Amino acid sequence: MIHLKNIEKVYRTSTIETLALNNINLDIQKGEFVSIMGPSGCGKSTLLNVMGLLDEPSKGTVELDGQPVTQYRDKELARLRNQKIGFIFQSFHLINDLSVLDNVEIPLLYRSTNGKPRQEYAKEALTKVGLGNRMKHFPKQLSGGQKQRVAIARAIVGNPDIILADEPTGNLDSGMGNEIMNILQQLNDEGATIVMVTHDEQMAKRTHRLVRLFDGTQVL
Amino acid sequence: MIPHLFKLIWNKKKSHALLIVEIWASFLVLFGLATLIVINVGNYREPLGFTYENVWAIGLRNNQDTVSIADKQQRILQRLKAYPEVESVSRMSGNFPFSANQMNNGIEYNKRKAHPDFYVTDEDFAKVLDIPMTAGSWYRNVDSVGKYKPIVINKKLKEALFSDENPLGKVLSDKFRVVGVVDKFKAKGEFMSDKPAIFELVKVNETWNDTMLMRVKPGTDAVFEAKIVKDIASMVTGWSVEVDYLADSRKNQHNLVLVPVIIALVVCTFLLINVALGLFGVLNLSIAKRRGEIGLRRAMGATGSGISTQFIGEIWVLATFAMLIGLLFAIQFPLLNVFDVKAGVYVTAIIIAVLIIYAIVTLCALFPSRQAALIQPAVALHEE
Repeated sequence: MIHLKNIEKVYRTSTIETLALNNINLDIQKGEFVSIMGPSGCGKSTLLNVMGLLDEPSKGTVELDGQPVTQYRDKELARLRNQKIGFIFQSFHLINDLSVLDNVEIPLLYRSTNGKPRQEYAKEALTKVGLGNRMKHFPKQLSGGQKQRVAIARAIVGNPDIILADEPTGNLDSGMGNEIMNILQQLNDEGATIVMVTHDEQMAKRTHRLVRLFDGTQVL
Repeated sequence: MIPHLFKLIWNKKKSHALLIVEIWASFLVLFGLATLIVINVGNYREPLGFTYENVWAIGLRNNQDTVSIADKQQRILQRLKAYPEVESVSRMSGNFPFSANQMNNGIEYNKRKAHPDFYVTDEDFAKVLDIPMTAGSWYRNVDSVGKYKPIVINKKLKEALFSDENPLGKVLSDKFRVVGVVDKFKAKGEFMSDKPAIFELVKVNETWNDTMLMRVKPGTDAVFEAKIVKDIASMVTGWSVEVDYLADSRKNQHNLVLVPVIIALVVCTFLLINVALGLFGVLNLSIAKRRGEIGLRRAMGATGSGISTQFIGEIWVLATFAMLIGLLFAIQFPLLNVFDVKAGVYVTAIIIAVLIIYAIVTLCALFPSRQAALIQPAVALHEE
């Protein structure tokens, strides 16, 4: 499903050069639930961004469903992100000026899905994460756990093959974290491929496979 | 996407209130200015109704002299006609073309009323100013013997009093009889609107109609002007003589119209520059504050150009909100026929104001939205 080959990512400024990822080779199969762990600054989020086509590797190739996408143009990458990948972020990234329902509709806007079906899909996704009764609410009216569930609904509304979650439980207490983890596991059981960055060993243990990074290098 | 943008702006209406007020005020100012310009351009495109080149107006003031004024005026008139440089001369009231003077009065026909400008002239007036007749003929001095004063009216007055009826021979206010119709007579220049006008035959003994309108041969210059001033001064001692070239007076009249318009234009331009700078600043700030949202939208499938379009779209929506409120005011002008200006003028002004506002907000949004498009999604998401 996702194939990373000799991935290297270097951040350069006028005075300093930082190697964020060094020779990463990773294969993620369809239906897998993979967690990525490592200390802060080891390149976990960078790796997730490269996988999610949000960041370009300095070297190496990224293949998605067997297709090398490294040379794709902005428009093609945007289409792939929209149709194949769902993102979940630690800080939720909800738009405060839009209702919960409108937030969940966003990926479908970039697919030009019409208003009525768009709303139906968004309602369906919200019901799935247990927020069917909070559709008209605004993010500021929700708890952290509820916000993350909205973010999950937004990630799954477009039915993507891959879900990339960057510390989805990082801002939540353990109870809420477990709830979110249960939802992710349920999505994985339904066939979604999930790659999750986490600091939490307990959460990582609930996934199929663990990838450890240290100073930008894959250690396990 | 458009309903999404409307929703986004509507939900943020409080924080955008000041911007909306700014755009609304700019729209109304632009509407006012555009109305002024459309009216003047519309007037300018209509013909004057006469020619003014090589026509001079000689103002005579008898000052302390009170003896045989009418006779002296007639002698001056005959003297002017005798110069080989002069093609034709007419005596008229002080409101000669492009002068600052104006005379008007109410007039009535079959309970229809109008308030035309009055010009008291003699039989040669049409010849001096080369005014074409559309019906009937210009009055002659001999017509003064009748019961009614002969008058010539313009088309505007004909429409106001007679509609489709033939005005020739009709009596107005039990005092005047129409003997001819001319098309237009815009005495204050091209920027004047085509107003109702009446030309009334001057009586020989009416001494206050003391302006001589004179068409000279092409090429006649100030040497001749000096000569006639000197000749008249020697004929009527103590009188003052003032010569105005209609071509110069026309320029003065134009300035009277154009200067306020130009001042309004300058003020409006400064206002719009201020609004534009404000918009530019707000958009730049908004993009800086919304980097996380930009990153998120990119992650959800927006392209760089899509982000750019979104920001331009947002400012268009904002401008649309502001202009819809402005339109509520502006539309009252054509509906209530304010200032008796044609509805088409107001509608044209509204369209011009709308287009200019959209052009300004687009220009202001272009650079910040391009900046937004260049933001790397991974960087923006990480910063958040």
